[in-house]
Amino acid sequence: MITDIDWQLIGISFITVFLAEIGDKSQLAAIALGGSSNNPRAVFIGSTVALILASLLGVLAGGTVAQFLPEKLLKSLAAIGFATMALRILWSEQ
Amino acid sequence: MKTGDRESLKPISQVPVNVQTKQPRNFWLVFTSTFITIFLAEMGDKTQLVTLLMSAESQAPWIVFIGSALALIATSLIGVSIGYWLSKKLAPETLDLSVAIVLLFITAWLISDIINL
Repeated sequence: MITDIDWQLIGISFITVFLAEIGDKSQLAAIALGGSSNNPRAVFIGSTVALILASLLGVLAGGTVAQFLPEKLLKSLAAIGFATMALRILWSEQ
Repeated sequence: MKTGDRESLKPISQVPVNVQTKQPRNFWLVFTSTFITIFLAEMGDKTQLVTLLMSAESQAPWIVFIGSALALIATSLIGVSIGYWLSKKLAPETLDLSVAIVLLFITAWLISDIINL
């Protein structure tokens, strides 16, 4: 089985996801959080696990993930999360 | 990337006890806040859709998953390394301010996503 792994497919999916991710929100978040927290390792592991879990759900659920996903709710929770982190940093300034 | 933060650069014996004990709790605090926010932001997002479409169209979804997982590790490593490098270069106040601005920018980006959904 090992020999017939389609290395070309791995390469294509690596490059596609890499390019899709580079300009994405989570990349910006990794930069911001990686810089602000005194524990960059925790940020790296947290970000990686989150991203891999999200893409795993994508692979498992396939097309259906879009239907039953309350995207508006999830994204608003994420927005609140990022806003809270930003405000916490700003308030800890004083 | 030189892992470990300022406290852990000193030999462990010199690090004050409260910092030593803070380390694990702090790890989980930072890990969970990063994990939750990025996971929520990623659900239904571009990267997930790209992986989803490629795995659906290819006969080998797990191969696609491996490729995308490696890419996600790489981009997270690059992102955190850039952030860590910047935190060494910028003065703490400018660093905190710019990080807060970037986080608020992400918030606005998410809100615009929500509006366009």
